[in-house]
Amino acid sequence: MSIDPPNQCMTVESAQTLMNQGVSCQVEIDLSAPFQVGDRVKAKVMHPETYTRLPRYVRGKVGEVVKDHGVYVFPDTMGQRLSTKPQHVYSVRFSAQSLWGMDVSPNDALYIDLFDDHLEAV
Amino acid sequence: MASHHHHPESEIALRVKAIESLLVEKGIVDPATLDTIIETYEHKVGPHIGAQIVAKAWVDPDFKARLLDDGTGAIAELGLTGFSSEHMVVVENTPEVHNLIVCTLCSCYPWAILGLPPTWYKSFAYRSRVVIEPRKVLQEFGLEIPEHVEVRVWDSNADLRYLVLPERPAETAGMSEADLASLITRNAMIGTAKVPAPTSLNPPVAQEISP
Repeated sequence: MSIDPPNQCMTVESAQTLMNQGVSCQVEIDLSAPFQVGDRVKAKVMHPETYTRLPRYVRGKVGEVVKDHGVYVFPDTMGQRLSTKPQHVYSVRFSAQSLWGMDVSPNDALYIDLFDDHLEAV
Repeated sequence: MASHHHHPESEIALRVKAIESLLVEKGIVDPATLDTIIETYEHKVGPHIGAQIVAKAWVDPDFKARLLDDGTGAIAELGLTGFSSEHMVVVENTPEVHNLIVCTLCSCYPWAILGLPPTWYKSFAYRSRVVIEPRKVLQEFGLEIPEHVEVRVWDSNADLRYLVLPERPAETAGMSEADLASLITRNAMIGTAKVPAPTSLNPPVAQEISP
């Protein structure tokens, strides 16, 4: 399945609609979530040559799921004009020390939104 | 670069002009559409919209609870949603927690709520440093965060966009929602500043703090 966006000239009206209403990236489907709030999860170690929303600095690090945002289209495949591959997106909390070592404040944390395909169970 | 012009245009401006005229010539871009978009982000959309949301949350505890629980829904109640703010998360600053927003991958930012991002927000320096050393970056913005306060950095790498609900200054008791809104700066809603207390009897003006 590939995505083939039409290359049409945007009218004033469609620009106004786009700016006022935006474009939802959420998908209203019933998809069971592989991860739950409170789960410890590991960001996968991967080095794709193609587009990804998984930054290098969290790869291989363990964090905790703090919220399930629901189901969204997957930019990693959308960016290649492949399938929309809808999946859950979670807010994952990483302690600052787990990312950067013991010299940083033990109180601080980094929150990042990760997709099912970015995560594995610990 | 040497130029014989009195007011030489920058290379990037010239390149944009060249691309624009090609796209218009080929019928891919309508100049009227371009003008509509520029007009919107230059004059209509900006941090005053975010300030309205924050001021309402300060005076209306029920709205604040809904805003923190479901940012998208609460902002939609006010009719203030729009492009690049479709999925909103609002995070609250308290005496124990200081929140800070970044997009390490590019420059994702809640356009409909805060307008277009400032140049520093898009810089490699801010995007790479703020995740590693947020306290040092905040010091450079003039903000010292006490050691016992938890700093939370939010990387808006996916499709959710973030807004910081700053702390209401203690000196503002009894102020109207509109007067409160005029105190709230863009940087306070990104997390690189606090909302300043009103300093004089003159009506305060929302202004951006450098850098």
